[in-house]
Amino acid sequence: MIRHDPALLSTALAAAERALNGALALAPTSQQALDTLAGTVLGIEVTTLDLVAYLEVVSGEELRLMAHCETPTAAFVRGSLEDFAALATSDDPAATLINSDIEIEGSSASLIALQHIVAGMEVDWEAPIVDALGDVAGHQLAETLRGIFRWGANASASLKRQLSEYLLEEGRLTPPKAELEYFYESVQTLSLKVERLQAKVQRLIARAAERERKPL
Amino acid sequence: MKDDTSGVTESADDTTDFGYSRVNRADKAGLVRGVFDSVASRYDLMNDLMSGGIHRLWKRFTIELSAARPGQTILDIAGGTGDLAAKFSRLVGRDGTVILADINAAMLEVGRDRLLDKGASGNVEVVQADAQYLPFRNDSIDCITIAFGLRNVTDKALALASMLRVLKPGGRLLVLEFSKPTSPMLAKLYDQYSFQILPAMGRLIAQDADSYRYLAESIRKHPDQEVLLEMMEDAGFVDCRYHNMTGGIVAVHVGIKA
Repeated sequence: MIRHDPALLSTALAAAERALNGALALAPTSQQALDTLAGTVLGIEVTTLDLVAYLEVVSGEELRLMAHCETPTAAFVRGSLEDFAALATSDDPAATLINSDIEIEGSSASLIALQHIVAGMEVDWEAPIVDALGDVAGHQLAETLRGIFRWGANASASLKRQLSEYLLEEGRLTPPKAELEYFYESVQTLSLKVERLQAKVQRLIARAAERERKPL
Repeated sequence: MKDDTSGVTESADDTTDFGYSRVNRADKAGLVRGVFDSVASRYDLMNDLMSGGIHRLWKRFTIELSAARPGQTILDIAGGTGDLAAKFSRLVGRDGTVILADINAAMLEVGRDRLLDKGASGNVEVVQADAQYLPFRNDSIDCITIAFGLRNVTDKALALASMLRVLKPGGRLLVLEFSKPTSPMLAKLYDQYSFQILPAMGRLIAQDADSYRYLAESIRKHPDQEVLLEMMEDAGFVDCRYHNMTGGIVAVHVGIKA
């Protein structure tokens, strides 16, 4: 299904594919994990951008992004950009999938496995730096960068934790996760009940109309 | 003869178009060969410069539309310097075959060297062939691609019939070719680019402005999207459709052999 100019879409996909494969080349542990998914094709529809793309795990070392694909997909996911961003960064992808508006056709197992691999990707940035600058200078620069990234990650995690604590405990602005999940579950149950009730009402209306038509 | 706006100038007499000129049908292949002999060594560089590298994206999408699978036989007509063939070689794997065909020996020579440099060997065959008289068995090819080549063919209907003959039932033809921009504004800009900038670039880089002027002229004389679609249907292809790319500057047509 092509909705955008294929050349434009291919530009974005080629750039993303190059970045992904570049990162993958520097992450040997992710390559091994990804190899188990070789041959898997996932379809992705981003509703906010009206965009459909496909991701094929060619091998542990190569991902392919496509605007058009005729290979049967293991899973086809449909959702908004925000939903996908939340899924990509989620600590608990299964819960995020259930609680978000993301629709899945097919098996969610491969999708969750891929999310785990991408989220846990440990990219060895030292290798290309050492290649470019030599062992000593490269290692020093890599150590410095690693320190900066570590500090950034710690600071971000700490900020996230403190913000979450403040919103939950101090400000009482958001409900706890368990409460939210219970709420989502209740909404889902209610939605199912309403659907069943609606069907029942429709059936009763149809029956009443039939009785009116039939002579007594 | 159909009108010029459709881009079709096939005629019942013995002449055909060569850019904006009329030449004897028998002479066209030789003249086209001369153009490509002249640009062969710098063809890829010029393509990159002329299209800003976008030709790679057009080809990338064409490859996706081919749905090439391991074990298949793919014929890349007018394959020139072999960039499509190199990609297909990986997709069809060791059990498949890619046939790189071109009427021009100089282009094929460059293509064969490039394929070897890219490590595409073992499943690639190189054949000098005329698209109008393909030297392959009936029903023997899974997919045919012709990228930026059909407009140089003397008798397009004959070439399409020849492609249909060699395709397996269910096989598909993909024609990637310059077409007609869908927006009048873009068409004007594109005209300026084609007739002013393109020959100047040809002169600077390939020291051959005439060949690149021919390329621009041949693009204008080529059938537009709808006419080519009709030609494919007339040749016997079914489920024909096309996708415009970059505002219709290029279109990829798809047809299936029933």
